[in-house]
Amino acid sequence: MADPVTALVVAFALVAIVAFLFWPHRGYYWRAQRVRRLGGRALLEDALKHLYNFEYRSQPASVESLGGALEVSQNEAADLLVRAEERGLVKVEGAVIRLTPIGRSYALRIIRVHRLYEHYLSEETGVTEEDWHRLAEEREHDLDDADVDQLAFEMGNPAYDPHGDPIPTVDGEIAPQRGVPLSEAEVGTPVTVVHVEDEPEAVYAQIVAEGLQPGVRLDLIEITPERVRFWANGTECTLAPMIASNVAVVSSTGPVEDEEDEFQDTLAVLRPGESGEVVRISRRCRGLARRRLMDLGILPGTEILAEMISPSGDPTAYRVRGATVALRKEQALQIQINRTLEAH
Amino acid sequence: MSAENRGEEILSEAAAVRWEAGPNFHDSLMETIYTDASQVADRAVSRTDEQPRFDLDRTIDRLVTSRWLGFPMMLAILTVVFWLTIEGANLPSGMLATLLIDNIHTTLKAGSAELGIPWWLDGFLLDGVYLAMAWVIAVMLPPMAIFFPIFTLLEDFGYLPRVAFNLDNLFRKSGAHGKQALTMSMGFGCNAAAIVSTRVIDSPRERLIAIVTNNFALCNGRWPTQILVASIFIGGLAPQHMAGLVSAGAVVGIAVLGILLTFVVSWALSNTILKGEASAFSLELPPYRPPRVLQTIYTSIIDRTLIVLWRAVIFAVPAGAVIWLSSNIIVGDASLAEHFINFTHPFGLLLGLNGVILLAYVVAIPANEIVVPTILMLTVLSAKMAGMGEGAGVMFELDSETTTAAIFQAGGWTLLTAVNLMLFSLIHNPCSTTIYTIWKETRSAKWTTISALLPVGMGFVVCFLVAQVWRLLM
Amino acid sequence: MATETTAEGCEACPAHHAGNLIKLGVNMSNWDYVVALAGNPNTGKSTVFNALTGLRQHTGNWPGKTVVRAEGGFSFGGGRYKLVDLPGTYSLLSTSLDEEVARDFILFGQPDVTVIVVDATRLERNLNLVLQVLEIRDRAVVCLNLMDEAKRHGLQIDDRRLARDLGVPVVPAAARQGEGIPLLIETLAQVATGQVVCKPHRLKNETPAMRKAIDRLVAKIESVYPDLPNIRWVALRLLEGDKRIIEAVRTGELGDLSRGTPGDPGTLSEVTR
Ligand SMILES: Nc1nc2c(ncn2[C@@H]2O[C@H](COP(=O)(O)OP(=O)(O)OP(=O)(O)O)[C@@H](O)[C@H]2O)c(=O)[nH]1
Ligand SMILES: [Mg+2]
Repeated sequence: MADPVTALVVAFALVAIVAFLFWPHRGYYWRAQRVRRLGGRALLEDALKHLYNFEYRSQPASVESLGGALEVSQNEAADLLVRAEERGLVKVEGAVIRLTPIGRSYALRIIRVHRLYEHYLSEETGVTEEDWHRLAEEREHDLDDADVDQLAFEMGNPAYDPHGDPIPTVDGEIAPQRGVPLSEAEVGTPVTVVHVEDEPEAVYAQIVAEGLQPGVRLDLIEITPERVRFWANGTECTLAPMIASNVAVVSSTGPVEDEEDEFQDTLAVLRPGESGEVVRISRRCRGLARRRLMDLGILPGTEILAEMISPSGDPTAYRVRGATVALRKEQALQIQINRTLEAH
Repeated sequence: MSAENRGEEILSEAAAVRWEAGPNFHDSLMETIYTDASQVADRAVSRTDEQPRFDLDRTIDRLVTSRWLGFPMMLAILTVVFWLTIEGANLPSGMLATLLIDNIHTTLKAGSAELGIPWWLDGFLLDGVYLAMAWVIAVMLPPMAIFFPIFTLLEDFGYLPRVAFNLDNLFRKSGAHGKQALTMSMGFGCNAAAIVSTRVIDSPRERLIAIVTNNFALCNGRWPTQILVASIFIGGLAPQHMAGLVSAGAVVGIAVLGILLTFVVSWALSNTILKGEASAFSLELPPYRPPRVLQTIYTSIIDRTLIVLWRAVIFAVPAGAVIWLSSNIIVGDASLAEHFINFTHPFGLLLGLNGVILLAYVVAIPANEIVVPTILMLTVLSAKMAGMGEGAGVMFELDSETTTAAIFQAGGWTLLTAVNLMLFSLIHNPCSTTIYTIWKETRSAKWTTISALLPVGMGFVVCFLVAQVWRLLM
Repeated sequence: MATETTAEGCEACPAHHAGNLIKLGVNMSNWDYVVALAGNPNTGKSTVFNALTGLRQHTGNWPGKTVVRAEGGFSFGGGRYKLVDLPGTYSLLSTSLDEEVARDFILFGQPDVTVIVVDATRLERNLNLVLQVLEIRDRAVVCLNLMDEAKRHGLQIDDRRLARDLGVPVVPAAARQGEGIPLLIETLAQVATGQVVCKPHRLKNETPAMRKAIDRLVAKIESVYPDLPNIRWVALRLLEGDKRIIEAVRTGELGDLSRGTPGDPGTLSEVTR
């Protein structure tokens, strides 16, 4: 029979090797796989995305901005640009860095993956809002086209990500900016600014001077071929139609989305024995998770009593319309309530 | 007009109407329904008396989910269940063995001798097939007839969802779904049924985790092995009056180890090949409903015990035949069985097991239930014990634990062998029915293979480590 | 569906028929009516099923015990009834894998009668599903199960009032004890044969915008697919953007969907790449 010490030493060596190779995330195999799959691709893709975003916002990108965004040194950023240029993805002319059409469509593909994945996280998983972006940043580089198309199909080809940004289509088309030019909006209906074109600079300066930026509400008074008059920020403003056409607005007649109050209590604050009345389910809770909560009868106005906490600390059981339902903290945090004061 | 055009027409209308209906259509629909529901319910329901001062349900809930008592109570309940099973099954098992093996088998043998039936036919049918069947009944029926009704009573009472409630956080941390606790509990009955029940888990990723790890829930085919080995080797270490409790404790230890492995493997899976995001979780905790004890006992014996037993018997029959044949077909200087045993013995020893046990596990792939009978029979055979059994390939009788213990001793068994057998019984491939069910549910050769091979591999590693450390320390 | 083939004869005196109940087990070769058992999880559907058919479906006090469809049958008053036990579901509007079986059967299996088993101790929550089913199904019976538990918890339920409000028969029962089962059989036979005509409750508190939207879409679908059952429900699903229904409409298989029987949903083929 083998000497136990030898056997054990051999075994531990084997286990150590296996652990070194295959330990989740950090194991050599996984890292090697990542490196091989991405081969610096992630960095390149992030660079293209950065360039695209600057282009979309009509800001000039530079080696400095690139290095800053990717958290690499200037030299590395410059190397990266050289590599991208070799592959025909960008064109560097002096200090000006521009995307080539190929580079642009590559960037759009990555953005599509990113936003689709954010949409997926928001609709189909319990991941909280703060983590959407980070997780999508990780996954955008390793989903292949088939996966992405499948994902898009599963979710019914959504047009916008949860932040309201448009998701590019398979063909690399990005939905046009939402809204209509202010110069063509309907008089009499309140509108909200969704986009301000920041070029040419002189025009942009005028718009800024009127205090217009995304989110500002306007009331249109009059549109004539000569001028556009409206109330904004409590004063009456006037713009030339040519300039007003650089501001995109949407009608804000729809139900005013109730502002979500950060300081509102959520179900998670209730201790066993305390109760509260549901105000709303946060908009961050979407898709199946949201429906499930409503199926169980958790709707605005419902009385909910916290009953008990699991000994392992997490799910808490609540009494909802006569039934006892256990919810994890992540979900309880998305149900906003008003505490019911009288104690039993 | 083509179907597609008509479809597009409807869809464009739907898109237009959707705008009008506003973005919160589902929310308003649900509110509408619930407004009606509460109106209707309010009119129909009234309370006969004011709230009872003592709410039994809530009191029980506070107890079984309490911070300090929740987990100890789960362990205590598990221990009591096994203790009852072990203590209660002892006597009837012995009686059944005496009846089926000592009396009926002897009578049958005498009868066949009188009729002049050739030795090989007599051996094949009576010593192979019949004894295998008798053995399975004697070993399995009593513990199952006690274990299942108790388990069903707990299930009917409403305890299982509380277990899920207590364990959820651990499942969440291992990246798995909280309802996996329910499917795991089902696995304590039968892994194959539990695999089907994983349909309660919405997310495909989390469902696969539940399927792959379900094998770590000890199923009824493996309880008898655990119980028998624990009572002989581990109960034997304790003073007489404590023996039952100590053996129950050992079995609970193995079951808990299985639960821990479930967490570890779920975690590893959800961080490697089944990477993904946790899905939302909600679980309704049903009210406690006092079970109807007699009815439950009756149906659980009829439905579960007998069905499972029947399955075991069906698998035992061919297994008995195979054992008898393999130990009676002589190639060269030894039987087939002996060749296999001699060949795998060194490997078995490295794992703290032996060749006999490895062969038994090969024979028992169709059904875990027949592991112990096979081991006993093969041990008798390979140790060439005089006066034991009635020749090559006779599944040996368990009329008392002392005899069984004697056989194990003759086979060179130590406490280590026993412990590793218990471990290996927990951590090895699922039975054939379960593997088939996994394939049916996943339709994937890859996941079926992983579910089948991952546990065996782990079993080898665990047994090896335990054996070597044990030998180092002892 | 063979609704005409039943013997009429003595149906007018149902009280005498309890003795006529022949439990058929699983003999499915020949049946006149299909009866679906729907309801929230853990309300006793399988227990009712067992009481009606004499079979032994597994039951257990936790939601999600039944995950696949089970079939059985019984005969009563000359009619032969095929009974289908379904997994519990909270809603027809959002579904997980096991619930899909139930939803598809209720919607597309076209049962002659839908028995909705409700938990008397959690009536309000259960009514959510009842109202959803009544929106799309005309022939339904509510089985108010677990009445013994309701009594134990000091609840009194006015089943007549409930029946009036819901517009369908309501049968109080304690299925585990077999109480109310004979009456349930009679009632569902009366509904199946059309002796009792249901006037199911339809949602009253819809906002005008909702009603307008639904009506408009229903009219549109009706003009394209006049024979489609459950138009209202299809409209609701379209308004919610259900990708499966949208896909079915787009490819024109909506008509087939309404006739087809749901397949076995248990496979995970999509994720197993
Ligand atoms: N006290 C009492 N208990 C009942 C009654 N009917 C059913 N039960 C119990 O309630 C539990 C749930 O019953 P099931 O028939 O499994 O419920 P189900 O609706 O089929 O549940 P799912 O299949 O999970 O949807 C079981 O423990 C039954 O024994 C009743 O009338 N009275
Ligand atoms: Mg059921």
